[in-house]
Amino acid sequence: MTEVAQPQLEETRSRFVPGQPDMWLFVLFEALLFTGYFSVYLVSRTQNQDLYLQSQADLDLRVGVFNTIVLLSSSWAIARCVRAAREGVYPAALRYAFVTVGFGVVFVISKVAEWIHEIGMGNTFTSDEFFQHYFFLTSLHCIHVLIGFIVMGVVIYQLRSPARRSQQLVETGATYWHTVDFLWVLIFAMLYVVR
Amino acid sequence: MTTSTEGTSVSDTPPESRLGRFAWNCRHHPKRELWFAWWVMVVFYQLYGVLFFFVTRVQPPPSPAWDTPMIVQWFDDRHDGLLVGFGIVFLISGMCAPMNALLAYSMRRMSVSRIFAYSYLIMYSLSAIPGMLVMAIAMTVGALRPDRDPELIHWLYDFAFLSFSGTMGVFLVGSVVWLVAILLDKNNVFPKWFAYLGLCNALTEVVVAPAWIFQRGAFAWNGAIAWWINMVVFVTYTAVFIVLLRRMIEREDFGTGPLPDLPDKRESASAGSVGVLR
Amino acid sequence: MRRTDGELIMLWALPAIAIIWVSAFVLFPGFLHPMSPTMSAEEVASFYRDETARIRYSMILFNWFGVGLIPTVILLAMQVRRMAHRTPIMSYCLIACAGGPPTLFLIANMFWLLGGFRPERAPELTQLLNDLAWVTFTVLVPYLIAQCLLLALAIYWDRQDKPVFPTWVAHFNLLIAIALVPAAFGALALNGPFAWDGVLSFWVKNIAIAVWIVVMGVVLGQTIRRRRAETAVAA
Repeated sequence: MTEVAQPQLEETRSRFVPGQPDMWLFVLFEALLFTGYFSVYLVSRTQNQDLYLQSQADLDLRVGVFNTIVLLSSSWAIARCVRAAREGVYPAALRYAFVTVGFGVVFVISKVAEWIHEIGMGNTFTSDEFFQHYFFLTSLHCIHVLIGFIVMGVVIYQLRSPARRSQQLVETGATYWHTVDFLWVLIFAMLYVVR
Repeated sequence: MTTSTEGTSVSDTPPESRLGRFAWNCRHHPKRELWFAWWVMVVFYQLYGVLFFFVTRVQPPPSPAWDTPMIVQWFDDRHDGLLVGFGIVFLISGMCAPMNALLAYSMRRMSVSRIFAYSYLIMYSLSAIPGMLVMAIAMTVGALRPDRDPELIHWLYDFAFLSFSGTMGVFLVGSVVWLVAILLDKNNVFPKWFAYLGLCNALTEVVVAPAWIFQRGAFAWNGAIAWWINMVVFVTYTAVFIVLLRRMIEREDFGTGPLPDLPDKRESASAGSVGVLR
Repeated sequence: MRRTDGELIMLWALPAIAIIWVSAFVLFPGFLHPMSPTMSAEEVASFYRDETARIRYSMILFNWFGVGLIPTVILLAMQVRRMAHRTPIMSYCLIACAGGPPTLFLIANMFWLLGGFRPERAPELTQLLNDLAWVTFTVLVPYLIAQCLLLALAIYWDRQDKPVFPTWVAHFNLLIAIALVPAAFGALALNGPFAWDGVLSFWVKNIAIAVWIVVMGVVLGQTIRRRRAETAVAA
């Protein structure tokens, strides 16, 4: 009895929410967690305003803007990929998926270059409080991007063969990628812009 | 579900009284091994909380930035609590074994390879040694001789708290093994969102590593990020998996393939199923 | 067909390990009679200075063969697997317990060896290492207690015509578990029966472990032999 009812239930569920509903719970967990981390950052910032302002000046706003544009483009690419997959145009979907990964790689390279630059200037994880938070938040985010590569790997694997191609899994992967992008925008706002 | 497994004739229905029912369950309930492991787990976590937070009072952790006289004072204040509390810890640490066995069993019920269950079992069996027992030993030795050289007591203090907080790698990789098994599982033993919660938990365990670097601030072993947020996530994760394991045991049918869902509440009342250990 | 080649070899390793352990136990100058926690730092330092050779060689011997009990515990876990249980959980429990005692023992062993490495160091440091070694050695009981209790439970739950182990083995394990309990509190006092050199934390604990090894070794040997006879007849 449950087996027959199950696929129908799943279909109605997927019409309400794109991708696995469980992934949205993950988005919620991550949002809560990062809210916690941001609160800690903001509170310790208010206690040490001058130090933070001074250290922030060492960060290049242009690099932050570039990173944001790169990730937003990658989100655009994955959205197009989902659209193409929904319409059944799988070669295009596969191309967009690769474009997404490409943008992700550009982001990671740019981040690492920025870290090397900052360390060269003497700003390391241990040099002061602002850079503690900076390196922590950006590397935690980078770990999420790396996990995103694994997720995109699953999406590409699905799109490759006609035997698979679960729309739900592709949408789930896209949800994860959008979350990663969204988190970056918040980090960018907090670390680079708010002065 | 109501018949027992032995050939000898045994009453099908448990006796009326609570104690009688409990005894009957211990002897005849088909899922008694699973419930035994589950209850050991629940009792263990309660004891763990009480012992670490109230008896020994080592949690919430004190600061790594304290100077030596303050640390010696801290040990003095807690002298009896440390020795007695950790004595009890040395008695009950073996309760981790049924807990890990139950989790490994949950992975055996999944459609994935047995490697997940066995890897998890080994990882978590040894995790308690650096992650809990070494701390207990260091604290015990610290409290053993209050007239010891303060510098040595300071070293034992560092040793205890760093081994407690700084050895999260085992738990991290163990969690990842479990969550990958859940994501790949076709038998629906656990909901997928639990795997994502596990990923959150694993990430917060990564975040504790800076405790080895900082003596103050949000990333010290008592910091807002390395301890408080980590503890909130860990407690949530633990509470969730205790509940999910309970539901898994209730759904268990000792078969293969997908795990059946829990029956509708009205259905189960009319079926008169065997009393669950309460 | 279960593969049983080599089981008897693993089993016979047990008496060999036991002989080596007893020799190392006697060789270490701090076990007979056990060192007192009330020794001052100077006394501890001079102990390590005077008896350095015996400390080092006995502990190296222990270090080589510290994990010698694991094959026996695994053989026990395999017997538990044969019991009339619905799930493999009880055997998993035993496997989970198997690694704990050797690991803790090897940590204690390391501290003793470190103490003996530079006997000319400051006495307080040597006393610290000695304390760490003795405390670790005394309190390493939790997994052994759990092992005994879980084995007893598994045997009680093994309800079939020909149970794998006789019921008295379960009672015996309960007794051993109780005997090991006082040692968990071995750091509470510096003298008296609970101290690490006291009757309860040292003699009762170590004799209990020794008796457990001997009895379980014999029971295991009989069980495996009986099983091999049964399968040989069936084949």
